[in-house]
Amino acid sequence: MSSNRELSMTSYVGIGVGLMMIVGLEVVLTLQHLTPRTLLFGLLTLASMEAFVAIMYLMHVKYEQPILFWTIFPATLFVLIFLCYFFPDAFRMFSMRLIK
Amino acid sequence: MNPTELVVNEKLASIEPERKEHGIVMELSPYGVDKKKLGMWMFIVSDACTFAAFLFAYGYMRIGAPVWGTPFGPSSIANGVLMTAILLSSSLTMLAAVRASQADDRSSAKKWLGVTMLLGVIFAALHLREWFKLIGEGWRLFYNPTGGAAQFGATFFSVTGLHLTHVVTGVIALAFVVRGYSQRRYDQSHVETAGLYWHFVDLVWMFVFPLMYLMNAH
Repeated sequence: MSSNRELSMTSYVGIGVGLMMIVGLEVVLTLQHLTPRTLLFGLLTLASMEAFVAIMYLMHVKYEQPILFWTIFPATLFVLIFLCYFFPDAFRMFSMRLIK
Repeated sequence: MNPTELVVNEKLASIEPERKEHGIVMELSPYGVDKKKLGMWMFIVSDACTFAAFLFAYGYMRIGAPVWGTPFGPSSIANGVLMTAILLSSSLTMLAAVRASQADDRSSAKKWLGVTMLLGVIFAALHLREWFKLIGEGWRLFYNPTGGAAQFGATFFSVTGLHLTHVVTGVIALAFVVRGYSQRRYDQSHVETAGLYWHFVDLVWMFVFPLMYLMNAH
């Protein structure tokens, strides 16, 4: 993960263009009139890819000591995943709707 | 100077300047980063959890609501894409500022920091334009003019408002960094730490834009 060979500014511009292309892909996906569940899955997948690239390259985690990554990210992901504990209640509300 | 003193001085010269004041007995950080940067990482983790909680609450309310507002047409989506492009460009200009500060090119670093601030201000202006458009259409924090779930306004204005607050705070913080850097009170580590925050603001927008704009497009 850690590497001393940092990218050139031209490569960073390329990464920026790549990230914009992912945003374009998100818009194209939105125009396909998919079901909300499929659209949400697609958008979250693309956004997570963007976030990974941004964390590794723009925020320089790729060039830091691996211990920084392993201290911060598993713990943060653990917290974010456990936020899902609340979601079954939202589905209970969904099943209680008069209009579906 | 005896040989032991020479070795100590050589070691002191090889480590970062702020450690010199604490002496050689100070153990180096296992993370290998400056303490300001590590502090910023801790802040980013806590702030990421705050944004995640807001977005999870939005998802919860959206699933629970029978009819959800979808006010965004093509012009709003185009505005959102433009805002994303501006924020991404500002991340690149921030990178250029960090690089220039690392090369001790102070005038170039200040120039790129200025461009980053300008892009941040443009982003905030476009954001406010979108807000005023929605307010003009009758959307409020607790009111949906189309008769659907009133929570759309509450979630949209709170999530994007929190992000906008981060952008404005970032621009103000960058102004302080530019001032301190110009007066040589701040060094490249301050620019790098401010840059880390700015990239985080960009990172959050990567989730806010698809979830708050694209998921609510009609």
